[in-house]
Amino acid sequence: MSDRENLERGYRRMLACYPRDFRRENSDEILGVLLASAPDGQRRVGVAEAADLIRGALRAWLRPLRQCPPTVRAAVRLMYAGAVLELGILVTVIVSESSIRSAILARYPGLTAAQWHLIVLTHLLPDEILAPVGVAGWVWMAWAHGRGHYWARVVLAATFGLSTLGLLSALSESAVTFAPADMVAGTVAWIVHAAAMLLVFSKPAARFFQPNPNARFFRVAGSRP
Amino acid sequence: MQEATFLILTALAAGTQHGYGILADVGQISGGRVRLRPGTLYTALDRLRGDGLIEVDREEIVDGRLRRYYRLTDEGGARLAAEAARLQANARAALSRLDPAGGVAT
Repeated sequence: MSDRENLERGYRRMLACYPRDFRRENSDEILGVLLASAPDGQRRVGVAEAADLIRGALRAWLRPLRQCPPTVRAAVRLMYAGAVLELGILVTVIVSESSIRSAILARYPGLTAAQWHLIVLTHLLPDEILAPVGVAGWVWMAWAHGRGHYWARVVLAATFGLSTLGLLSALSESAVTFAPADMVAGTVAWIVHAAAMLLVFSKPAARFFQPNPNARFFRVAGSRP
Repeated sequence: MQEATFLILTALAAGTQHGYGILADVGQISGGRVRLRPGTLYTALDRLRGDGLIEVDREEIVDGRLRRYYRLTDEGGARLAAEAARLQANARAALSRLDPAGGVAT
């Protein structure tokens, strides 16, 4: 195999990281530019080239489709903001953990070890476990909405319901007295969630989320055998 | 507007260009300071097409490979002009404060 063929194979492997629709439209052209830019004698994909292609692939995966309407684009941006907020909640909980513990002790000085354990289990651990899941969830929802997946809106509505219940439950348990910063961040995250809901369920967004009749679920549910 | 976006739009302001031409032109416009790579360029081109700032002018097959030429849309031209005016105003303000007499103060 010649140097050029070897290099082309390497570039093709890197381009396989891009989403299929992006690849279908651009990979032949990008390959041409990559080969034209490569100096004579180059056999392998360089480190900087590989990093650039991986970064480009990541952006192509996370960005909304070109036909995505502005309302959904705005919702996708809000979802990425939600991921950043969720990360903020995690950092807040970790940084303020000792002050939260002190606040609990000040309020309930006569706590037994078992009661203390229960409070940690119900107030601190859920935040520390759920926040990273929340970050991944927001990024995943942003990706799914940007691609126009029909089920994404259903998932968003369901998680909004859960988030509302969580917020109401936290308010009713006076969690605000334990961790006001966490409570404020949680409320802001809920507002972001609500705004994203309004945008993706708006009239201009509806056409973008039409169910795909070729999807397996719809074939199974439909009349075809 | 990011610098890479500004330079890509500037490269297309003089006329249609294909991907390799844009890469070379961006290097030239920036005096060799900015060197775009194909991965960055094509994600930017895809985004700019989505935003309606550029569009495909025509496609050719050269040596068995697709070569796509891009051009600025009216909206892209207006956005570039607005950004250039903003940068020019900022630069003028900075230079005038560095040396009100006309040259750069030392």
